[in-house]
Amino acid sequence: MSEKTINLTMGHDHRGMSLEQEKMAIEVKDWNLYYGKSQALKNVNMSLPQNRVTAFIGPSGCGKSTLLRCFNRMNDLIDIVRVEGKMYLHGTDMYDKRLDVAEIRRRIGMVFQKPNPFPKSIYENVAYGLRLQGINDKRLLDETVEWALQGAGLWNEAKDRLNENALGMSGGQQQRLCIARAIAIKPEVMLLDEPTSALDPISTLAIEELIFELKKEFTILIVTHNMQQAARVSDYTAFMYMGELVEYTDTDSLFTNPQKKRTEDYITGRYG
Amino acid sequence: MKTWFKKGEHWVWFSASAVSIAVVLVFGLLLLIAARGLNHFWPHPVYDFQLAQANGQVEQITGEIHNRRIKEVFDPANPSVEIKEPQLLIKTGNRDVYGLDFRWVSEKDIVDQAWTKSQGISIIERYEWGNMYGYIQALRQSGHPTLLGEAAQVGLAQAVAKSHRIRAEIRHIEKGVIGGINHELQQLRFEERKLQLAQQWDSANAERIEQRRLALQGQYGDLQASLDALYAKLKAEGEVVVRIAGDREVVIPVSHMVHFWQPNEMHLGQKVVFFFGSIKNFLLDDPREANTEGGVFPAIVGTLTMVILMTLFVLPMGVIAAIYMREYAKEGALLRLIRISINNLAGVPSIVFGIFGLGFFVYVLGHSIDQLFYDYALPNPTFGTPGLLWAALTMALLTLPVVIVSTEEGLSRIPRALREGGLALGATKAEVIIRIVLPMATPAIMTGLILAIARAAGEVAPLMLVGVVKLASELPVNLTAPFVHLDQKFMHLGFHIYDVGFQSPNVEAAQPLVYATSLLLVLVIVALNLGAIAIRNRLREKYKALDN
Repeated sequence: MSEKTINLTMGHDHRGMSLEQEKMAIEVKDWNLYYGKSQALKNVNMSLPQNRVTAFIGPSGCGKSTLLRCFNRMNDLIDIVRVEGKMYLHGTDMYDKRLDVAEIRRRIGMVFQKPNPFPKSIYENVAYGLRLQGINDKRLLDETVEWALQGAGLWNEAKDRLNENALGMSGGQQQRLCIARAIAIKPEVMLLDEPTSALDPISTLAIEELIFELKKEFTILIVTHNMQQAARVSDYTAFMYMGELVEYTDTDSLFTNPQKKRTEDYITGRYG
Repeated sequence: MKTWFKKGEHWVWFSASAVSIAVVLVFGLLLLIAARGLNHFWPHPVYDFQLAQANGQVEQITGEIHNRRIKEVFDPANPSVEIKEPQLLIKTGNRDVYGLDFRWVSEKDIVDQAWTKSQGISIIERYEWGNMYGYIQALRQSGHPTLLGEAAQVGLAQAVAKSHRIRAEIRHIEKGVIGGINHELQQLRFEERKLQLAQQWDSANAERIEQRRLALQGQYGDLQASLDALYAKLKAEGEVVVRIAGDREVVIPVSHMVHFWQPNEMHLGQKVVFFFGSIKNFLLDDPREANTEGGVFPAIVGTLTMVILMTLFVLPMGVIAAIYMREYAKEGALLRLIRISINNLAGVPSIVFGIFGLGFFVYVLGHSIDQLFYDYALPNPTFGTPGLLWAALTMALLTLPVVIVSTEEGLSRIPRALREGGLALGATKAEVIIRIVLPMATPAIMTGLILAIARAAGEVAPLMLVGVVKLASELPVNLTAPFVHLDQKFMHLGFHIYDVGFQSPNVEAAQPLVYATSLLLVLVIVALNLGAIAIRNRLREKYKALDN
């Protein structure tokens, strides 16, 4: 549990601004993805604004998670996946062959659906990314671990048990630890793949609160099954269906005044 | 009853009984081995038997009851009737006098079918000719009796203790000092040969080496003189006169005695002390008398050294192979074929591995190593002959499939989410494997290692071809550099069992040793496994929360 009071009226920062006026972090151009012969993403074109929360919603199998995993090239790990199109992070081609994939992943952090802390101490979990970069200076590590745990709202709970195994924490704490681990290496973008689907409502609220805080420093992309969650935490929402990007606009407009029939059907609960 | 079947209760009973049969068999076997093996160390009472002989005379024999049997005898006069005749196997000792240490005696031949404990009899364990059973009469020095009766026993104990000290000194000189000189002489020979091979042999070198050799030979002469003095001292400890069954007197030099005891006069506490003392001697002594007496220390050291060395080979080989197959190799027909081959490798008879080890490691690799690095020692082979290194490598090959399979299993059980978590933080695949996947797979790797150890420690057949011998003059590990002598032949408990049990001329004497050695081998394997299991459990504890 976060020690902060839960603020249910988090609201959206983009009021008064439309998507076109935002500064963009990631650009996606004519993006196609194939699992072997079947196409999972069809011609996706979108721009993702910096320091905003963008939510991806849609029924199961619509490709929202697949798209999210394209942003840090997690799909590279699957042999049968083939991609077409372009993706730019602040103007750099993310799929450039000369680029170090690990470098891209350092700039774009990810938090997964199920908390996946390493079977190490809390401290070592957060310090892991830093150690990978060859940072072994004790003071710097201590500072960053504290900063990251503060940022993930976990410091008060964890400060006295930094050397205990991370697997001894509750699910919500583990998920916040994963967030701390991801922000410790100070990425530019954070990808959250249904971060609260395995958590109880109180932990979910704590994470949502955290997302609201984190967007001051990071660009956040979140995949969620929960439309209320998308409405609560995101500034912009993209609705996907059958591998296509159906509608993508600011959250208020999407939920109150959907332009497409399929969007309306989905958010009113007619399918999905 | 019908519902009983319907609920499937009978299946539960079937499986339960299968398990209990297995458990009973395992523990029954262990119990049998333990009882027979440990029985050997307990001081058994010695009895006097009066045997009626065909000519009406009475023969007296003295010994321990070693075994019993019921012999079926056919009366030639009445072939249809089968007579069951109980017989005793009596360990009479005194092999030098009787020719045999054991004798089957029909209980009906024993006068009055009664036997009595011999009062004050001593069993004397000797370095040669086995045990002697008899009454100590006198201690003699240079042909004259010095002590008689009770006093002789006390004096004898002191004399034996003294002779042990002298023997220890002799041993130190023979094995340690003279061994060192021999080693140096050999090094000199090698140096000479090396120089000759390098075409650098000149008079200066010849002079230097000859000087050194003469010095060493001088030292050797001095040592030989002091050895002779020690042997004379040993002889001066005198001899003991023993009266054996049938009122015969036998003289044994004190220097031939290991120790002596009076089993019939011991009380329980003394017997227990004796029991543990015998076990200690069995564990720590060198074998004697074609391995049928003495201890098994070199075999224990050989087994442990070989197994540990094998572990050092098989662990990296197996783990690296498993990592490649699970993490890097592309799934497909080829990989499937390789997997099937590895699984089948586990089923290849071990003797085949032995033959491969002999053919490839010893003859091909060993000979090449000799040609390249030990050419100065040729034609005597250094590595081109069966030895510890080749035995360990052969065993590593034999156990490789187990380690690969269980490591692969362990790797496949690490959740994908964890690997992705590492990759998402900017780790490369290798970093994820080394820092996350491999530590988490260690319990599985240890399981594979436990199975490998169990198999390697119990295997004998291939070892006979690649390095195990009946009697090794030196331990494969000792204090002279390089401490572990990979080129040496070694002794092994499993081979020791085979050798003592089936190659020994003295079957009855060897039998209890076979049980004792089997028990020891089982215990060594259990100890090795418990060690590995303890490590595994500690690692498991670390990752326990991961399972839920």
